[in-house]
Amino acid sequence: MKKIFLSALILLFGTLALAEVKVVTTTTIIYDLVKEIGKEKIKVDYICRGDQDPHFLEILPSNMLKLRNADLVFKIGLGLEMWLQQIIDGSRNDKLKLIDLSKDIEKKEIPTGKIDASQGDIHPFGNPHYWLDPENAKIMAKSIYDALSDESPENAKYFKKNLDDYITKLDSKIVEWKTKMSGLKGKPIITFHKSWVYFSDRFGIKIAGQVEPKPGIPPTPSHNAELISNIKKSNIKIILMENYYSDNAPNQLSQSTGVKVIKVANAVYGQSGINSYIQMMDVIVNSLSNNL
Amino acid sequence: MKNILLFILVLFSITNIHSQSNVNPDISLIGSFSVFTNNVKETPEYGKLNFEIPSMEMYIDGYLNPYSRATANIAYEEGEFGVEELYAQILRGLPLNMQIKAGKYLVGFGKLNAIHPHAWQFIERSLFQQIFFGEEGLNDIGVNFSFILPTESFYSNLDLGIYKGDAIAKTEVLDPEDANSYLDLRGNSPIFIGRLSSFFDLDDYTNLEVGLSGSYGVHTKMNFNTFGDSSAEPENNSLKYFYGGLDFKLKYKPDSYTSLTVQGEGLINNRQVFRQGDIGLNIPIEKIEKINTLGGFIFIDYLFDKQFSVGAKYDFTYGIVDGEPSFNSLSNDDKNKTQGISGWFGYYPIEETLAFRLGVQNISFKYDDGTSQDSETKVTLQMLFSLGPHKAHPF
Repeated sequence: MKKIFLSALILLFGTLALAEVKVVTTTTIIYDLVKEIGKEKIKVDYICRGDQDPHFLEILPSNMLKLRNADLVFKIGLGLEMWLQQIIDGSRNDKLKLIDLSKDIEKKEIPTGKIDASQGDIHPFGNPHYWLDPENAKIMAKSIYDALSDESPENAKYFKKNLDDYITKLDSKIVEWKTKMSGLKGKPIITFHKSWVYFSDRFGIKIAGQVEPKPGIPPTPSHNAELISNIKKSNIKIILMENYYSDNAPNQLSQSTGVKVIKVANAVYGQSGINSYIQMMDVIVNSLSNNL
Repeated sequence: MKNILLFILVLFSITNIHSQSNVNPDISLIGSFSVFTNNVKETPEYGKLNFEIPSMEMYIDGYLNPYSRATANIAYEEGEFGVEELYAQILRGLPLNMQIKAGKYLVGFGKLNAIHPHAWQFIERSLFQQIFFGEEGLNDIGVNFSFILPTESFYSNLDLGIYKGDAIAKTEVLDPEDANSYLDLRGNSPIFIGRLSSFFDLDDYTNLEVGLSGSYGVHTKMNFNTFGDSSAEPENNSLKYFYGGLDFKLKYKPDSYTSLTVQGEGLINNRQVFRQGDIGLNIPIEKIEKINTLGGFIFIDYLFDKQFSVGAKYDFTYGIVDGEPSFNSLSNDDKNKTQGISGWFGYYPIEETLAFRLGVQNISFKYDDGTSQDSETKVTLQMLFSLGPHKAHPF
């Protein structure tokens, strides 16, 4: 009897020692960073696919199921994932911890004055597309490390080593990306949505306008006419856009002015060949630098 | 034990309604304006542009505490204000991951009934819902208990609720100026409504939800003598009904600009009805019979370029569509039928803050006794707007 009891205890504690931290992320960007820090000590899944617009997501019950037994859910924050709370509520998980990765990010474009829908779909707490600056990816990785270590203190050293390795890898890639992007420094480009401000500030690109007349508002003929004039006047060569937006309006601009439309994923698994954050940044940087 | 303690704590936190708070709830407003015409010569609307009184729904919605939230939906329709919905939900912290919803709300019998009309792709309520639930749908006072079932590979949910039953057969007011003049058909007889639903990710872009619904209870109480002796003291009889429902929704959404939805629902109505007969020699008999009727719809909707939608719907139901469900329409009208064919075009200029919908519906009637009634065609143009925060759409 004593042996059986002892075996049961060993089995129980053995199982606890092997227990993984169950993580769900809102985007595939965070998913990749969590995988890099947690590796085999965590189990991770994501909600928004890489080829989906994270601003608008339908509430699918299957996503509630993902969160049902999760320990942690990570989000970009700053109002990007307006759909998340409904999924959390639907999961009924009262032990779930929500980690907002924007907390240590230096926010840009925080609106001042009265905010209303006449300004389009603006984010009242600042522009949420901060992951497109690789320096911010380092801050996100550090926040992920903090949360995983709090959740699983016995694996904190393991997570720390993974964090350090990843930051070292990112640092060397940042040098490479900066070198490749140096030819674009100070040059104006147009973006589809107001999502590239962190990216452009990091690499010194000037954003001369957006295809959307206001954030989230579909392109209009009158705004296109303004852009055509601007493109010609400022000799703009590139329109940079996420691949989940329609390229009808950018292609019209291209036909009228010869401007090159670069359509890239801004998330992991957003297009074939992008299976990590570093691969995504490689594709974005190479697409821009090869089209100088 | 821990769960029971948590349950008590949650209940306590909900009853602690005098706690101070400096957080405002979300307030949003849906406005609707319609103009229509029809081809029914007997009606004053025939061939004219008829402007309906604008209607609105104001939602006040927010968390009461970390475990629960409350929603009020104040509606202004046909020139009158009313409480469309008023309910609280306990979302988490209960044993078995249960959720509780209590108050007045659109009940989840089938998929469509719980969705507000402004979020439908089409304008007119489905015909079988008009017959069996009334023009406002199955909106009732009660409490629902919701459970996620332990199916690991797909999502399954079970809802079980008990309701007052007003949408099944309302108390009929005979004289609005006399508070004592009413016909209470059901008395104090709660009804039961449940739904079992499962959701499947068929692939990254295709989702399917299927549901089974059921509702059971007393639809009418009345005094009569089932033995045929009309001079005897009548017995009090409760006439019962059972609604069985089947629904599905299949949606293919390859990107944020395009989607194709095929959705349908069906209802089987099995109910006891009161019949008066004659056993010969002018001897009347009063008896209870069982009838089976049904209704349903299926529609297809195609959204393209994010801003446009086009679709078509086929409706069929036993009964003649005309106002609220009543003892007569549901119990004695079992052989008459209504069918409808609708088409629509929707335009959403900027997200869903503004929508224009043009709908055409043709309804035809078939009476068992040979009575004829011309088919009716109605054309409606509707404008909807959404002011304030609006939530993401559930599947």
